[in-house]
Amino acid sequence: MRETRLWSLHLLAIPVIFVLLGMHLAIMHYAPVFYGMSVDKAREFGTMIERGKSVAQFILYILLLIAGLYHGLYGLRGILRELPLTPTLIKVVDVGILTFGLLIFALGTYVTWWTFTFKVGG
Amino acid sequence: MTTSQSTTSRETTFRLRRYDPDKDSAPHWDTYTLKVPDGMTVLEALHQIKAEQEPTLAWRSSCRMGVCGSCGMFINNLPMLACQTQVLHLNSDVVTVAPLPNYPNVKDLVPDLEPLIEKHAAIKPFIIHPNSMEVDEPTGEFLQSAEEREAYSQFTYCIKCGLCLAACPTVATDPLFLGPQALAQAYRYTADNRDCGLQERLEAIDVFHGPYQCHMAGACSQACPKGVDPAFGIQLLKRTLVLDSIGFGKKKSQVAKLVPLADVVKQIEEFAPPPRSVNQ
Amino acid sequence: MNTKPTGYNNRLGLKGWAYAGRYSIERYLYLGHRLSGLGLIAYMVLHIVETANRIRGEQAWEGLMALFASPPFKVIEYLLFAMAVFHAMNGVRLILVELGFFLGKPKEPIYPYSTSVLRHRPLTYVVMILAGLLIIFGGSSMFFK
Repeated sequence: MRETRLWSLHLLAIPVIFVLLGMHLAIMHYAPVFYGMSVDKAREFGTMIERGKSVAQFILYILLLIAGLYHGLYGLRGILRELPLTPTLIKVVDVGILTFGLLIFALGTYVTWWTFTFKVGG
Repeated sequence: MTTSQSTTSRETTFRLRRYDPDKDSAPHWDTYTLKVPDGMTVLEALHQIKAEQEPTLAWRSSCRMGVCGSCGMFINNLPMLACQTQVLHLNSDVVTVAPLPNYPNVKDLVPDLEPLIEKHAAIKPFIIHPNSMEVDEPTGEFLQSAEEREAYSQFTYCIKCGLCLAACPTVATDPLFLGPQALAQAYRYTADNRDCGLQERLEAIDVFHGPYQCHMAGACSQACPKGVDPAFGIQLLKRTLVLDSIGFGKKKSQVAKLVPLADVVKQIEEFAPPPRSVNQ
Repeated sequence: MNTKPTGYNNRLGLKGWAYAGRYSIERYLYLGHRLSGLGLIAYMVLHIVETANRIRGEQAWEGLMALFASPPFKVIEYLLFAMAVFHAMNGVRLILVELGFFLGKPKEPIYPYSTSVLRHRPLTYVVMILAGLLIIFGGSSMFFK
């Protein structure tokens, strides 16, 4: 079952990314249309902190991180493993990508939490 | 327009890839010219070149009518059966013929198809029925309707020519990838209502080098000379595996029922009674 | 098998990924999907690292935003957007097709053969036209102030 399950998760991540990334792009690039504020204002430090303080934003960003990183890194692992690799290199690719993914996820989660708990003005 | 009466012909240059393992360290190209009449196939052209110009030219062929799968070659950068490819239909003054890529090149235009055969064998290409004694020593027939047959029939037409693996981009880099032929055959047996062997085949197919390294480039189905459409088989195999992983796989109880021979004979007599004798 | 004839290594290698030649459009879309996927994962990782700069404070953040507002970055941003749209729309086709939808039903092959690749061609066209429209009109956000 192993590879089927890994691939099924790769596919399940797709609608999650479609919706959440779509929302993210809309917020960032279509701020004038959806929020009546300029794109530059949408990217300002203050606006970013304000957005990051909502619980919904916190949860959805973590979800997008998980889905995006899993989908992308599973794809990268597939591309690398399709090359003729020695058994050692295969282990390096699998373990390396998993470790890298966990590290980037940790960084992204920390930054999202940092924004959520940021004390404005202090 | 028949080939014997046609006067259309074209002076064609053939660039053939040559490789003699006893003499060469790497393949090289040799050029031959031939006046090609309408209807001449690449295989016939090779025969004529061998007879008149290059007696040492080597290739593999047999039936010369597109059923044995022996003469697969890389013709003008596409995998084709040499016996099924008319030179003038290539519409080119220069025809390049090389051995099928993605297989070791034994000599000249001869590929080593062992990888194809090994991968085919790895997916257990035979009916796996709960009653294995019955498969080896039959006492009756398995019931299979026309619809049940049509569900896998197109994948039975594979002639193991190997063109699909030559076309596949994944096979180009991954020597362990099962390839379109083996994966389509894995589906052929899984979809057969007489078979319940998916669990036994999982070890071979539910791995990294299995169907998920197919990315629907579609080149295999484009190359297949018998309309097997292996890409279709692979996508259906993915669906089967996903459904099986969430508990919707074929149950042993859903496998074809066995009809004992006596009942088979009775059914035949019901539907097609023996003819009355002339004297009656 | 007792004897294993070996021979000259005739594997196409990475050329087999890159050179689609006279194969059908789906082979080119495979290449485009692969390249755009690599670009996107590279961008995603860079983006996570870059947006982490906020923890260095407001000034560092605004400096970064000013850099990204400059014209060369706007062009890169648009190319990224185009890559993402292509990858997403082709991905819609792939997720449907790889689960066996839009490919028709198995049936006896009668010459001239119809293949599942050809049968889902209308879906391919729809998806590509949608991608084209989104890339052209979606890029209008570049001109928002």
